[in-house]
Amino acid sequence: MAVEPSRSTTNGQRASLGNVVSTLVGSKMFPLPQQPAMGFFTDTSLCIGCKACEVACKQWNQLPAEEPGWTGSSYDNTGQLSAITWRHVQFIEHIGRRDNGQNGQHGLRSDSQAHIDQAKGEGLIPLISPGTALPFFNTDRWLMQSDVCKHCANAPCQEACPTGAIIRTECDTVYVQQDICNGCGYCVVACPFGVIARDERGDHRAHKCTLCYDRLKDGMEPACAKACPTDSIRFGEVEQLKARARERLGMLHERGVHEARLYGVDDNILEGGLHAFFLLLDEPEVYNLPENPQRPSDTVVPASLWTVVAAMLLGLFGVLFFRE
Amino acid sequence: MKETRFPITETSLTGVQRLLSRSNLFEQLARLTTGYTPAPERELQEPSYYDYPVLKAPTWHWEIIWYFFFGGLAAGCYVIASIAALFGSREDRAVARAGYYLSLLSLVPCPLLLIKDLGRPGRFLHMLRIFKVKSPMSTGTWGLVSFSLFSGVTAVIQAARDGMLGRSWGARILAALPQRLLALPGTALGVFLGGYTGVLLTATSVPLWSRSKALGAVFISSAISTSAALLSCALRLAGTPARVLYKLERLEWAALLVEMTSLVTFLRGAGRAARPLVGTAPREHGRTFWSFVFGGGLALPWLLQTRSLLGRRSGKHTSGRGLLISLLVLVGGYFLRRTMIEAGHMSSRDARTTLWNAQKSHSGTNRSTFVS
Repeated sequence: MAVEPSRSTTNGQRASLGNVVSTLVGSKMFPLPQQPAMGFFTDTSLCIGCKACEVACKQWNQLPAEEPGWTGSSYDNTGQLSAITWRHVQFIEHIGRRDNGQNGQHGLRSDSQAHIDQAKGEGLIPLISPGTALPFFNTDRWLMQSDVCKHCANAPCQEACPTGAIIRTECDTVYVQQDICNGCGYCVVACPFGVIARDERGDHRAHKCTLCYDRLKDGMEPACAKACPTDSIRFGEVEQLKARARERLGMLHERGVHEARLYGVDDNILEGGLHAFFLLLDEPEVYNLPENPQRPSDTVVPASLWTVVAAMLLGLFGVLFFRE
Repeated sequence: MKETRFPITETSLTGVQRLLSRSNLFEQLARLTTGYTPAPERELQEPSYYDYPVLKAPTWHWEIIWYFFFGGLAAGCYVIASIAALFGSREDRAVARAGYYLSLLSLVPCPLLLIKDLGRPGRFLHMLRIFKVKSPMSTGTWGLVSFSLFSGVTAVIQAARDGMLGRSWGARILAALPQRLLALPGTALGVFLGGYTGVLLTATSVPLWSRSKALGAVFISSAISTSAALLSCALRLAGTPARVLYKLERLEWAALLVEMTSLVTFLRGAGRAARPLVGTAPREHGRTFWSFVFGGGLALPWLLQTRSLLGRRSGKHTSGRGLLISLLVLVGGYFLRRTMIEAGHMSSRDARTTLWNAQKSHSGTNRSTFVS
C-alpha cells in the first residue's frame, strides 16, 4: 500500500508551536504552503501499449498483483483501474468500424481497401464478421491509452467523502488519507470515471492513484511518467502541461491527424477541468471516457427541493386528516 | 425485447391475451413509464470500450437495503406520531404513543447496519470528524445522530408518561418534559432522515440513481406510507377503535398516491437509465419491480384502501383487509429499496448507458465545446 507521507516540517519553531497546538487540540496540523498544481498529460498518440507505467506504478506503490486472467474479449487483461491498479493501459482495436463508411476520412485509402477486398475474396484473409474478437488480419489501427485517476479540479470523490479522508494536497492533487478512510464506499459511486475503488480483498479502504505524493515530496516525478519510454505520460505543472497539450494538438492537426482531440483541457469537465488530461485519437466514448459527466454534488439541491415538496404535500395531508 | 420467456406460439394468442401475458405487460409498462423503447441494434452501434464498465459497482448490499427500510420507518413513524400529537384529538394519542415507540425500535438496527456496511467498522466515528454540506453521506450521518437523540428522548418521555419507568422523581421529571416542543425539531430531522437517502443516491454517478432528481421524493413518501402501514397494523392488532385507524388509513392512502406520482416522475425523468429497474430482460429487475413494488406494493393496496375508505361510509369494515393492505405496503417498501439498489449495481455496469447519460446534449452543464 501507499507509503504515508511524512508531515514533518523543517521549520523548528513551527514544529514546536505545532506540538503545543497538537497537545491542546489533538493532532491538528498546519497546512503546507501551496505549490503549483501538478498533473499528468497523457498523449495517447505516443502510447505503444508497453505497460511499463502499470508495472512501475505497481512496483513503486507496492501494489499486489491482480488475479491473472483473460478478459476473453480483448488483448487487455488488466481490464480496468482498481484499488490495486492505478495505471491501466487500454488496447482498443478498431475492428470493422472503419469499413462501414461512417468515418470516410479516417478510413483506409480506397486502393488499399480494394486490395484487402480482393485478398478476402481469394481467401487469403479469413472473413471476420464485425465484432469478432482478435482480428489478426485486420489492418485497422490500434489505439492505446494509459488510463489514470483524473485528479479533477472539482473531484466528486473528494466532495462525497464524509470523513475528510480525501483531500487536496499542496500540489492540488487528490489524495486519500488511508488512516482516515473508513471504507464507506460513497466515493466509489461518486467517481464518474470509475477510478477510485474499495480494496475488498485487502484492507477494505478506498484506494486510487496518489500521483506519487511521496515521490513529489522529494522532488521526483511519478513512477509511471518516469518509466514511460515514449513520453506518452508527461508530468509537470498543469498550466505548462496544458500549453504543451495544445501545442501537440496543433502539430497533429497540421500533420493531418484531424481526429486528434484533447480531453479535460479546455472542455471544463466537472466545471473545472481535469489535472490529468488526455490527447485522444477518437471520441472519448471509444476510450470509455464520459463526454460531459454530471457533477454529483450539483444534484443535491434539486433532489432536496423535490424531497421537500413531497414532504410538504404529505405533511399537509397528515395535518388535514388528523385535524378534523 | 422478444418474449422468449413464454414460448407461446403467435397464432394461439389474441391481442388481449398477449397484453395479459405477464412479461409483455411489464415490458409495455416499462416503455410507457420511462418513455423509452429499447433499440438493441442502435445501442450496440454506440462506441464503448468492449462494454467494460465505465463506473465501479456500488459497495452497498443488503445492509444498506435494510437500513433504508428501517430508517424510513423510524423517520416516518416519528413524523406521523408528531402530527398526531400536535394536531390530533385525545384519541389520537394512541397513534402518537405507538409512533414514538416504533420509531425508536426501528431506529435501533440502523447504526448497526451502517457500521457493519463500512469497510472498516472500527472507524465509524471518523464520520463525525467533519460536516460537509455537499456530501449527503456526511449530512446524513449527522442527521441520523441528531434524529436518534430526539427519537430516543421522545420515546423515553412517552415511556415515563405511560408509567413504564416507575414513579421515581426521575421518571416524573422526564414525564414533565415538553414532548410536543421536542417533536418540532424532531419532525424536521425525521423528514430529513426519510428523504436524504434518496438524495444520497441521486448525488452519485450511477445513471439510474442520478439522472432523475425525484428519488428523494420517492423515498420520503415511501417512508410515510410504510410507517402508516406499520402503525395501522400495530394499532389494529392492539384493538384500537376504527375512528383512529381511519385517519391513519387516509394518510396511508394519500402517501401511496404521492409515492406513485413521484415514482412515475422518477421513471419518466430517468428514461433509458431506468431500464435496469423496470425492464424485463435478463438481469433487469422489472419483474420484481412491477409485481412487488408498483403492482403489489402501491397500486393494489391503494385500490384496496380506496374500496375500504369508500366502503366504510356504508358501515362495512374488515380488519383482515386492513392487515393485508399494511402487509402489502410494507413488503412493497422493502422491495422498492431492494430493486433500487440492485438495479443500481446493474446500471453501473452498463457502459453504454453510462456514456449516453454523460453526453453533452443530455447534461445540464454548459461547457466550452471542443468538437473536431
